[in-house]
Amino acid sequence: METLSYLAHGFGIALAPTNLLLAAIGAIVGTMVGVLPGLGPINAVAMLVPVVFALGLTPESSLILMAAIYIGSEYGGRISAILLNVPGEASAVMTAIEGYPLARQGKAGIALSLSAWTSFVGSAIATLGIVIAAPLLARWALAFGPIEYVALMVFAFACLTGLLTDQPVKALLAIMLGLGISTIGIDANSGVYRYTFDSPNLVDGVQFATVVIGLFAISELLIMLESMKGGAAPRIEQLGRPLFNRAEMKFTNAATMRGSLIGFFVGILPGAGGTVASALAYTTEKRVVERTDPEGSRFGQGDMRGLASVEAANNSASNSNFIPMLTLGIPSSGTTAIMLGVLTLYNITPGPALFRSQPDLVWGLIASLFIGNVILLAINIPLVGLFARMLSVPAWVLVPFIVVVSTIGVYSGKSTTFDLVLMVALGVGAYFLRRFGVPMAPLILGLVLGKILEQSLRRALSLSAGDVAILWSSPIAIVLWVMAALVLLVPLLMPRFRRWREEAITEPD
Amino acid sequence: MTQDRFLGLAAIALAAVMVIFGYGLQAPFAYEPVGPRAFPLMAAAAIAVCGIILVLKPGEANTEEGSGISRPILILSGCLLAYALLFQPLGFVLSTTVLMVPIAMVFGASWWQGLITGAALAISSYLLFDKLLDVILPVGPFGGFI
Repeated sequence: METLSYLAHGFGIALAPTNLLLAAIGAIVGTMVGVLPGLGPINAVAMLVPVVFALGLTPESSLILMAAIYIGSEYGGRISAILLNVPGEASAVMTAIEGYPLARQGKAGIALSLSAWTSFVGSAIATLGIVIAAPLLARWALAFGPIEYVALMVFAFACLTGLLTDQPVKALLAIMLGLGISTIGIDANSGVYRYTFDSPNLVDGVQFATVVIGLFAISELLIMLESMKGGAAPRIEQLGRPLFNRAEMKFTNAATMRGSLIGFFVGILPGAGGTVASALAYTTEKRVVERTDPEGSRFGQGDMRGLASVEAANNSASNSNFIPMLTLGIPSSGTTAIMLGVLTLYNITPGPALFRSQPDLVWGLIASLFIGNVILLAINIPLVGLFARMLSVPAWVLVPFIVVVSTIGVYSGKSTTFDLVLMVALGVGAYFLRRFGVPMAPLILGLVLGKILEQSLRRALSLSAGDVAILWSSPIAIVLWVMAALVLLVPLLMPRFRRWREEAITEPD
Repeated sequence: MTQDRFLGLAAIALAAVMVIFGYGLQAPFAYEPVGPRAFPLMAAAAIAVCGIILVLKPGEANTEEGSGISRPILILSGCLLAYALLFQPLGFVLSTTVLMVPIAMVFGASWWQGLITGAALAISSYLLFDKLLDVILPVGPFGGFI
C-alpha cells in the first residue's frame, strides 16, 4: 500500500501545470520526431540535454519532458512505417512489414488507429509493471555495495555485447571507447589530470552534451545525406476508414497481450530496447499464428496481429526500459543512458538509493508515463493526418534546423569554440564508426557508467587493500558474474539463438 | 584491406596513444591501492584486444556500401566545421545565415531556398534563445545583432 501512496504523490507532481504542459509538449514533439525519418528518440533527447538547462527546469521536469519525447517517438515511428514503408526510427522496422501492406489495401486508417491502440495497451501494461516491480527491485538493490556494483556493470556490458549485435567485438569496442572518454579530465580521487593535453577546456572532462549531440545528432546528418534518395516527394497512401472496429480489436487482443509481455521483459534487459522487443514479438506471433490458425495467417501481406504485437512490444519495452534505469542506475538503452547522464549533471547519483532519496523524481516520472501515454493515445488517433503531413518537410529545412539547435545547445554550456569543434569532430568520427558497424548506444552507456564503474572498482579494492578476489566475495556478485558469463557464452554454444539473433537484429536504438 | 582491418588498426593506434599518455599518470601521494592510471590502461588494453581481434578475424567486407568518402559528405563536414569555427567570430545571426546556405544546398535546396531557410532560422532562433530563454549567443563583428 506504501506504493500506492507514493504513486498518488507522483501523480500530484506529474499533474502540476508545468509538468503536465511539458508532458504534452513532449508527447507532440516526440511523435513528430518519430515520424521524421532520420530523427529518432536518441537524437532528439540528445539535442534536448542543453535545452533543459537553458530552460532552468528541475530534474523531475527535465526527465518528464525527455521521457515523453522518448515514448512519443515510439508512437510516431509507426506512422511513416505504415504510410510510406519508411521506418521513422529503428524499432519501427518490423511495423512496416505488416503495416505497409495494410496501407496498400486502403486500410491505412485502420492500421494507424489499431497500432495507436496497441501501443497504448503495451505502454499501460509496462507502466503497471514498473509500479509493481520497480520498488521491489530497488529495495533488493539497496544491499548493493561497490563490489556488487562492479559485477552488475560487467553484467550490463555483457548483455550489451552478447545480446545486441552480430558483432560483439564492435559493441565491446564501443563500450571501451565510452569508458575511455569518461576518464578524460581531473581524477576525483587523486587530483591528477588525465588526458587533458594541457588544455583548460578538458580539465573537467568533455561536456556530456557535446558528446551526445556530436555522436547522435551530427553523425545522423551525415548518415541522412548518405542514404538520401533524390526525386519527388513520397506518395502517401489514402487513409481509408479512420478507426478500427470491435471485431478487429477482438481479433488482435491476444497478439497485443503477448506483444506487451514480451516487450516488458525484453525492455528490462540492459542493452535490449524496442528494436529487439519488436523483432522477438513479431517472430513469436508469426509462429503462434502459424500453429493455431494456419489458414488465416496473412503474415507478410498485412496481418493485423503482426502489427498489433509489434507495436505493443516496442512501446512496452520503451516504458519498461525505465526499470533498470531507476532501480539500478543501469540504463538499458542509449536514450535512457542520456537521461541518466542528465541526472548526474544535476548532481543526482543514479542507483538503488534513488527511490529513497528522490521520491519526487522517481514517482513523478512514473506517473507522468501514465499521463504521457493517455495524451499520446488522445492525440495520435485524431491527429494522425496532421503528423503524416510532417513527412513532406524537406530535408533542406530539417537539417539546418538540427544543426542550429545542436550548435546553440553545445555552445550554451561553456560558450567556447573548442566545444563546437569537438562536437563536429565527434560527429564525423561517429559517422565513420557507424559505417564500420560500431554501434553508438553502447558507447554512450560506457561513457555514463564509466565514472561509476571506476569509482566502485577503486572503492572495492581499497576495502581489500588491492586484493582482486574481493570482487567475487559476495553471493549477489557471484550470481551476477555467472549471469554475465552465461550471456556471453550462450550465443556461442547455441547456434539456434545465434540464428534468431541474426534474423532479428538490425540496429540498436 | 577490409573495413574491419582498418577499424582494428585504428583501435590499436588509439590504445597506443592512451597507453603513452596514460602510463605516467601517478598520484604524488597514494591513498588507495589502485591509483588514477589503472582504469584508463585497462580500457586501453581492452580496446587493443578488440583491435587485434578485428585485424586477425575481420568480418565479411560490406559490399553494398561504397568504400570511398563521397563528395557531399566532405562538403557537409567542411561546412559544419566552418560553422563551428565562425560561430563566435562572425556572431550567431551572420554565421547561421551564411553557412546554412551550402548545408541546405547539399540536401537538394536551391541557393535562394537555402538563404531563406538560413535567414529565417537565424532570426527566429536568435529571438527564441537569446531574447526569450536567456541563452547568450555570440554577437556579430559590429557588436550587435549583426
